[in-house]
Amino acid sequence: MASEKSVPTARQRVARQHKHPVNQLFHDEATVGERVADQAASGIGSWWFLAIQSVIIAVWIAINSVEFFTHKWDIYPFILLNLAFTIQAAFTGPVLLLSGNRQAQKDRLRLEHTAEVAEAAEKATLQILEEIERNTEATLKVLEHLKKRRDAKGAVQA
Amino acid sequence: MAQSSTQAPAPLGAAHKAAVVHRLRRAHRNPDAAHKHPINQAHYTDATLGERLADRVAAIIGSWPFIIGQSVLMVLWVYLNVWAIFIKHWDPYPFILLNLVLSFQATYAGPIVLLAGNRQSQKDRITLEHAADESDKGEQHITKILIEIKKNTELTLQILQELEAEPV
Repeated sequence: MASEKSVPTARQRVARQHKHPVNQLFHDEATVGERVADQAASGIGSWWFLAIQSVIIAVWIAINSVEFFTHKWDIYPFILLNLAFTIQAAFTGPVLLLSGNRQAQKDRLRLEHTAEVAEAAEKATLQILEEIERNTEATLKVLEHLKKRRDAKGAVQA
Repeated sequence: MAQSSTQAPAPLGAAHKAAVVHRLRRAHRNPDAAHKHPINQAHYTDATLGERLADRVAAIIGSWPFIIGQSVLMVLWVYLNVWAIFIKHWDPYPFILLNLVLSFQATYAGPIVLLAGNRQSQKDRITLEHAADESDKGEQHITKILIEIKKNTELTLQILQELEAEPV
């Protein structure tokens, strides 16, 4: 049922050329490092990541505490698991900042674009005002001309 | 009489857009660039010493060299404490000291993330204030235009009266 002109979703947009110049610079022209940073942030910040992490933790604790399993490498109180958590946190912080820096960069770029657009718009608005003022002047002259003609006619008739 | 103005209004065409993109590309990735928008000027150019430091720290920790360097150090630590034969193993398996070091890093990274976040939300706040100012200015322009058009309509109506009063 979707019409042919339906607006592409954000997900579909990713694969395409962006229309807004800030998106073009920021997404379409991103360097490899920037692309990987975006991927990392969206990978860690997803339900999939949380779900898989939870499963791994559960399996780790199960194997190392339930007697049924024979090969144990990190018994209670799970010191190596603690290290694994810390390593995850130690990487999440920098990736968070990486992603935040990138958003700040986009914000900066967007404001610069806004300033450009606002400047052009103000120029256009002032031009419109000027044009209307010119029109008013012209209309005023037409009115004066008509009045003059009427007065001249009146004088002739008198 | 008044000459007819057939000259096209200043175009906002492809050339203008290309110039804008060119200027934006120069500012891209360079927070020290000369900014055009007053909020960017206030946020970057007029930043205090503490704010500049916060930006620098966030830029360093949130960078690929930091992440890659940290990974290399971690691997080196584990290597030296498990396989190295030429050095005393100062933190054997399960690497409790490494855990402490990384916890230390995470303890500082958290507040620094918030520091950077606070700075962004401060910027967001003053951006909105500026948008409100700009909106007021736009409204003033539109009001002026409206007054001018009304004046024009009044004159046109007077002309109509004059014309109607003329004997046909």
